[in-house]
Amino acid sequence: MPETIELNINGIAKQLDAAPNRTLHDALQYQMGLTGAKHMCDRGACGSCTVIMDGRPVLSCSILVCECEGKAIETIEGIAADPKWKPLVDAYCKWDAMQCGYCTPGFLTTAKALIDRSPNPSEQDCREALAGNICMCGTYPRHATAILEAARNMNSEGGGLNG
Amino acid sequence: MADIGANGDRENFKVVGGQGNPPGVVSYAMATGLAKYGVDYVLPNMLHAKFLHSPYANAKVAGINDAKARALSGVVDILTWEDEDIRDLVPRCFDFLSDRPWLDNIADRSGAEVAAIVVAEDEETCEEALRLLEIEWEMLPHVTDLREGNKLGAPVVRPGEDAKPTFWNYLSAEGQPPKRGNTYTVVDIRGDVCEAFGEAENLIEYDLRLPPFATRSPNPLASVAWWEKHPYTGEEPNLYIEGSVRWRDALSLTYKMPMEKIYMEGLFMGGKYCDWSLRRCQEVTPLLAKRYGRPVRCADRREHMYDFLMNERFIQMKVAFTKDGLITAIDDYSLCDKGGRGSAPFGHVGDLSQGPYKTTKCKSVRQKMEVVDSNRGVMWLSGQHCPFNWDTITTGIYIIAEQLGKDPIDIARLNLHGPTSPDDTNPVPSFDKCVEAGKKLMDWNWHPSGAKQLEDGRMHGACFRYQMTPRHSMKERHSKLEYRDGVVHMPSRGPIIGTYAVEANAMVVAEELGIPYEDVSIDFDAVAAHCIYGGGSDGTVGPAWAMKECVQILKELLKEAAIDYAENPGKPNSSFHNVGQHFPTPGPFRGCGPEELEVADGRVFLKSEPSKGILISEVTHKNIVATHSAWPPPGVWVTGNMGEILDLMNTEYCEVAVDAETGEVEILRFGIAADVGKILRRTSLESQIDQAVFFSQGCQQFEDMFYDPKTGVLLNTNMADYKVPGMLDVPIVEKSILETRAGNGVYGANGMSHCITNTNMLIIAIHNAAGVWVEPPATPDKVLKALGKA
Ligand code: FES
Ligand code: FES
Repeated sequence: MPETIELNINGIAKQLDAAPNRTLHDALQYQMGLTGAKHMCDRGACGSCTVIMDGRPVLSCSILVCECEGKAIETIEGIAADPKWKPLVDAYCKWDAMQCGYCTPGFLTTAKALIDRSPNPSEQDCREALAGNICMCGTYPRHATAILEAARNMNSEGGGLNG
Repeated sequence: MADIGANGDRENFKVVGGQGNPPGVVSYAMATGLAKYGVDYVLPNMLHAKFLHSPYANAKVAGINDAKARALSGVVDILTWEDEDIRDLVPRCFDFLSDRPWLDNIADRSGAEVAAIVVAEDEETCEEALRLLEIEWEMLPHVTDLREGNKLGAPVVRPGEDAKPTFWNYLSAEGQPPKRGNTYTVVDIRGDVCEAFGEAENLIEYDLRLPPFATRSPNPLASVAWWEKHPYTGEEPNLYIEGSVRWRDALSLTYKMPMEKIYMEGLFMGGKYCDWSLRRCQEVTPLLAKRYGRPVRCADRREHMYDFLMNERFIQMKVAFTKDGLITAIDDYSLCDKGGRGSAPFGHVGDLSQGPYKTTKCKSVRQKMEVVDSNRGVMWLSGQHCPFNWDTITTGIYIIAEQLGKDPIDIARLNLHGPTSPDDTNPVPSFDKCVEAGKKLMDWNWHPSGAKQLEDGRMHGACFRYQMTPRHSMKERHSKLEYRDGVVHMPSRGPIIGTYAVEANAMVVAEELGIPYEDVSIDFDAVAAHCIYGGGSDGTVGPAWAMKECVQILKELLKEAAIDYAENPGKPNSSFHNVGQHFPTPGPFRGCGPEELEVADGRVFLKSEPSKGILISEVTHKNIVATHSAWPPPGVWVTGNMGEILDLMNTEYCEVAVDAETGEVEILRFGIAADVGKILRRTSLESQIDQAVFFSQGCQQFEDMFYDPKTGVLLNTNMADYKVPGMLDVPIVEKSILETRAGNGVYGANGMSHCITNTNMLIIAIHNAAGVWVEPPATPDKVLKALGKA
C-alpha cells in the first residue's frame, strides 16, 4: 500500500496521506482544510458528505483515500469557486433551500452532478437525484424549485451547461 | 395591534414580507460549505477527547482499570469522574439539567457519557483506548416501558431521588404527593369536574399515544477549545471555543470566567430546534485544553445523539359533550416519560397549563399526569408540539364530529371561546378567516369515516386541526445600530440556527429606513448584545420589535447629525489623516430643527419640501450609534395566559389515501391556513411550515425508538435504522398565509414557531379513511393489523 496517493482536487494536483483506514472525508477535512463536505451519519445514509469523483456523486465518508489514486474529485468549494455554477448557488440562496445549512453543500453537490448529466432536469429528476440526501430540517420541497431555476438560468445564459 | 403601539403602524412594505426573498446574508456561506460548525474546526497540534458512553440502560461503573489503555501509543491521559476539576463542573445551561451530575459513575440510559474521558493524539486512538478500558460494570434495574415502570412493585430506577417535577412559575413542587416507586403524580383541576361529568349528555373515551421522536441535530455536536494570552496585555488567558454557539454565558459560569474573555468565531449552530442545551462534549474542552496546554476537540458520534425532541406519553381521555357538540367536561390522564436525570419538564408537566383546553369554553377540566422515571433517554429542552400537546383536543373534536355526523371544523368553532378572554362568547375572527382560506385551499368537503373511496380503490380520509399562533417574546432585548462611513451596521451574535431570524431583524431596519435590504450590513460578532435567543419565532418577532424601536432612535440621531453636518461640514485636515474618508456634500438643513426633517425612503429631507434632501449614506462623515434596551410586549410564556387570548390562529388539514390491501398510507397533501399577523421573511416562514410538517410526518409514519426489552438498550441509533422522511417521502404542503396584524410582535406579527407540528393528524385521517385506529407510527404492518388482515 503506497503511503501517499496522487489525485486531483478541484482541478489541482494533490498528494494525500493514504493511511489504510483514512476516509476521503477525513482527508479533506484534516489534510486539506476542506470542510464543505459534512459528516452527518458516518455510514453512507445521508449524503451530506457528497463529493463528485470522476463525474459521479459519491459519499466521501464511505470511500477510503487509498481508493482515490488518480481520481478527479470535485468538492463544494470547487463548485462554488467556478463562476459557471453561480446560478445554482444563487438559486439555492434565493429559494432558501436551507435552514441550518448543514446538509446544504451535500444537496448542492448532488444537484450539480445532476445538471452535469441532465441539463434540463424535470422536477421528478431532481427529486430522484436527491433521494439519498437527508435534511434533518425538512427543507425538501424547496430544492427542486432552486435546481430547476438554476438549470433554466444556466441554459438561457448560453453555453453555461452545454457550451 | 392593541398593545404594540407605534411599532405596528406601517402600512406599506417594500422589504418585509415581500414575495421575492432578499438573499440571506448567511445563505451563501451555508450553500457553499463556507459555514463552519463545531465539528468542522481543526487546529494545529490539536488533541482529541472522547467520553466513555454506556452500553447499558442503567449501570454503575464500580471500577476502571486503565493500564492497557494508558499504554497505547498516542494516549495522553484518561480522566475519570473522580477527577477534582471534573467534579467541580456543574451543568449551567438550564436549571433542570443540574439534577444530573456533570459526570459520574452512573449511566441512566444507553449512550450516556459516564465515568471516563480519554485524551489522545487522534480520534482513532481515543476509540481504541476506550475499547481497552477494563470496566467493572454493576448492572442496575431499568425501565424503558413506561407502563411496566408505573406498576406497583416495578424496580425503582432512581431510589432515593424524589425531586418533584416543576415547571418554572407555572408549577411548584409544593403540595405534590410523595413519589410512589418510579412515579410522580401531578394533578391540575379547574372547575367542578365531577359535577360536569355527572350532568353529561354524551360521553366519549379514547386513548392516544404520543410517539417519541429524536432531536434534529444534523451536525454531530462537538467543540474545539484553546487558551491564549490576551494579545495586548499578555494577561490571564482568554478562552477560545468553537462549537458551543450561544453559550458564552453558561461557559462563563462553568469556568468562572468573565464573559468578555470568552471568544468564538463560528455562530453556525446547526438544526437544534428547541434543543438548546450544551452536551458534555461542548463543555469539556476548555478544561482539557487548559490542562494539556493544547487545543482539544471533542465530538459526539451520531449514535450518541438520539435524545428526545419529544418523549413518549400514553393518554386516556374522557370527554363530555352536549348534543350539539359543546364540550362540557374533560378528564385527561397521561402516563408520561420523565426521562433520564437532567431531562426538561417539557413533554410532561410543562403541558399542564399550556395545552389546548384553555382555548375552549369548557370550564371543567381535570389533568392528571403520572410521570415515570425512566432509562429511555434525555429530553434536553422542549418538544416540537409547541405549544404543547394539542392532539388530545384534535382527536376529541374528530370523534365528536363523527358521532354527531358533523364537520369537525364546526365542532371546533362551537367550542372555541372568544378572542379576548375565556368568558368572551364571540367568534374568533382569525379562526374564521383561517377556516375560510383553508376550505378553499383544500376544496374541503368533509365526509364521515369510511365514506369515500378514490378512483384507484384506496380509501380517502381527512383531518382538521386548529391551533393558536402563540404570542412570543420572553426577554429583554438589546439592540444596536451603527452608522459608519455612510453604512448602517447591525451587530448581532445570532446564533445562526437558520436563515431567518437575524435577517428578519435586518429587513425591519431596511424597511424603516427605506434602504435596500442588501445595504444593511449584518456584522456577526459573538460578543454583540443583539441576540435571537429562542431561535425561530421567539428570536424573530421579539428582537425585531425592539430593533424597530432602535431604528427610530437612529432616525432621530441621523436628523441631528444631518443638521450638525450642514452647519459644520467636515473637511480633510490633512491629506494623510483622512485617506479614504468620504466627506459628503452637506444637505440643505442649516438652521433647521430636527422636527422639520423626515427620514424615509433612504433619504433625510425637509418635511415641507421633500425634494430637498440627501441620501442616508450622505448624512455625515461621523459615526453614529443608536442603542435600545427594552422588553417587547411579552408573549404568553411571560403573561401566563396561554390559550386565553385568541388573537392569531392557524388551521391545518391533512388528506390521506389508505390502501387496504397493502396497508400503505399516502399523505395526499397537507394544507396550512395560518394567520401569522405579519409575514416577515416569507421563504423562511414557508420553510418552517415545511419543517413542521416534516416533523409531523416523521413521527406518524416512520420514526420510533426501539428498546431491547431485556436490556433496555436503545437499538436504532443510526440513520439507516432510524428513518426520517426523505425527498421522495414528503407530501405536498399547500399554504395560505394570512396577515391580520393582531399579534404582539413587530408590525403585529406573532411567532409561528412549530405550533403546527402534530403527532396525530395522520392517525385521525387514517381513521376517517378506514375506520380503524392505528398507533403511530402508522407503518403498513400496523395498518393491516388494525384492518384485521395481518
Ligand atoms: S456522512 Fe457520508 S453519507 Fe452520511
Ligand atoms: S438545512 Fe439543516 S439539515 Fe438540512
